[in-house]
Amino acid sequence: MSAVIEIEGLRKTFHSLRNGRRVAVDGFDLLVETGQIHGFLGPNGSGKTTTLRALLGLVRADSGRMAVLGEPSPQLLPRVAGRVGAIVESPQFFGNFTGHRTLRLLARAGGVPTSRVDEVLELVGLHDRGDERVKAYSLGMKQRLAVASALLKDPQLLILDEPANGLDPAGIREMRDLMRSLAAAGVTVLVSSHILAEIQLICDHVTIISRGRRVAAGRVDEVLAGHDRHEFLVRVAEPERAAELLRAAELTATVDGGTLVVGGATDATVISKLLGEQGLWVGELTPLRPDLESVFLELTGAGQPWVPRQVDDSALPPGGQGDAVIDLERGVDA
Amino acid sequence: MNLVRAELERLFARRFVQLMVVLLALAFAVTAATTLAGSHKPSAAELSSARAQATEARQSMETHFQQCLARRNGTLPPSDSELYFPTDCSEIDPIRQDRLPIAADFLPGVFSFAQQAEPLLYFLIAFLVLFGFLVGASYIGADLNSGGVVNLLLWRPRRMTVLGAKLGTLLGTVLALAVAASLVYLATFWVIGQTAGLAGRLSGDFWRSLGAVHGRGMVLVLLASALGFAIATLGRHTSAALGAVAAYAVVWELGGRLVLEIVDAPRPDQLMLSSYIGAWLTGEARFYDSQICRGDTAGGGYCEGFYSLTWAPSLLVLLLLTGGLTAAAFAVFRRRDLI
Ligand SMILES: Nc1ncnc2c1ncn2[C@@H]1O[C@H](COP(=O)(O)OP(=O)(O)O)[C@@H](O)[C@H]1O
Ligand SMILES: [Mg+2]
Repeated sequence: MSAVIEIEGLRKTFHSLRNGRRVAVDGFDLLVETGQIHGFLGPNGSGKTTTLRALLGLVRADSGRMAVLGEPSPQLLPRVAGRVGAIVESPQFFGNFTGHRTLRLLARAGGVPTSRVDEVLELVGLHDRGDERVKAYSLGMKQRLAVASALLKDPQLLILDEPANGLDPAGIREMRDLMRSLAAAGVTVLVSSHILAEIQLICDHVTIISRGRRVAAGRVDEVLAGHDRHEFLVRVAEPERAAELLRAAELTATVDGGTLVVGGATDATVISKLLGEQGLWVGELTPLRPDLESVFLELTGAGQPWVPRQVDDSALPPGGQGDAVIDLERGVDA
Repeated sequence: MNLVRAELERLFARRFVQLMVVLLALAFAVTAATTLAGSHKPSAAELSSARAQATEARQSMETHFQQCLARRNGTLPPSDSELYFPTDCSEIDPIRQDRLPIAADFLPGVFSFAQQAEPLLYFLIAFLVLFGFLVGASYIGADLNSGGVVNLLLWRPRRMTVLGAKLGTLLGTVLALAVAASLVYLATFWVIGQTAGLAGRLSGDFWRSLGAVHGRGMVLVLLASALGFAIATLGRHTSAALGAVAAYAVVWELGGRLVLEIVDAPRPDQLMLSSYIGAWLTGEARFYDSQICRGDTAGGGYCEGFYSLTWAPSLLVLLLLTGGLTAAAFAVFRRRDLI
């Protein structure tokens, strides 16, 4: 598998008179390989958009190495730009143009046959509204137009920054289907989002960013597996007695109402055998699988309800271990 | 080439550009209509009377000159001794005057193309300079602000090419519009002169001088467009260009001039951009400075106290300013973070 996007040690600091220095991206790494639908996940202000802007040559990185489709970026980006479709933070379009004309102008500037315009309008479901002015579009329609503009080039690599913004549930589902069909057609997709369910549903790989740094990366199931504490939810008639039995067998067990959370067991059969031998029949035995949301909240430290969460500080992981990059896909990242 | 075509469509789709074109047409129509309404073709009687008056005026100038010479020679009859004469009679020598009275001067309510073409052209050039500046500034300013430039750069990640195509399209369009507008404008007034007024003496000299003003005006229009474009690019905003010009005019042309006068600095006009614009457009501008004659009076020689700026150094100043700002705009745009 070849790398489509490589980012190593990307740093970007913004300087402004009013706010002084702000480190938006702080030594970030990202690897996207051919054919992936790669989720780029992080809370607001964690540096997703800045990373994509730097990758696409819109902002100058302080340091770091980047490559797109094998060409160093931004130096040789023009060589591959024709094969990369991108939207970065809901793009603004000129309100007086119709959707159709907006795309036609871009197609012309990029040397794409204008016949492609109708095709992409169809793809994003704007075909019937293509002749209306962009300023009359709803937020979701503008977002669709943006995606259409990224698709115009028939790209090998599609970079979408929060494409679900402003879309209704049906729109989000259509966007998802669109991404899947593109991926099936061989397009590599990098999609940023702060919405976890979104990423979990469509992405096969994920990179989690927090405070400008990578905190997790790899296949979605492996990232989840890395956070699997191998706990089981157990329902038995006498939870207190069951807990004692399990603890005696060097397992952890916490009683929570009528159920038990058991940790340390490699296999569910261990638990059912232990309890069954003592005449305690197990009514329910469910492995507790982590979902991306819990992993995300754990990694980005956003899950403490008693601390009012601040946009920019949200990413400080609890327990002070936040600065260590957790490499979950050792084969690729180690 | 495709980029330029796309830019051309973008430029003409701008509301502001459309508005300015409408304003141009409107100003043009109003001037032409009022001129037409206030002018009539002189009758043969009017013409011959005007010719007579002009001849008479020229003759009286000649007589006055002769009397001056006569007084110098002491042959002036006593009856004319109360008349005023300059010390140097050549000052009123008709041959040395810039222009002599002609028939058109004695035809009230008659539009004379030969006489009016130049001032009319200056008016149009002033409008076109404003037009070029505003269109240049708003074209890039609005695009930088609306994210249009970012969209385009995602397509063509070559900043210099994209900005260059924009500037080139702007200058080409403004020049084409300005040339077309001024030609139609002059042609219209020429027709008015022919049909409802007086054509006047349209000699080769007249056309040459009008052509020179026209050519210099077109250069000025281009410079103004590039300047508006450059300042708006540097300031990321249309209003940056407007603000910069307003600030310059108030702070330097007005305030600075006042301060220079108070401290009695020599030749303050030489430090004003407006002087160079005037000098470039008219070929030469003369400015008064009292200090020129200081120390000169001791010699007893005559001192006028004027100095002049000619077109060549003026063009250099204007080119350096515009070129410098444009180069700066490109240099800054090359490295800037586009958000
Ligand atoms: N132009 C800018 N000037 C100053 N700070 C900026 C600028 N753009 C982004 N930032 C800061 O950089 C951080 C990352 O922003 P961004 O990349 O937009 O986050 P995300 O896309 O993940 O929500 C934020 O703290 C934001 O305030
Ligand atoms: Mg963002």
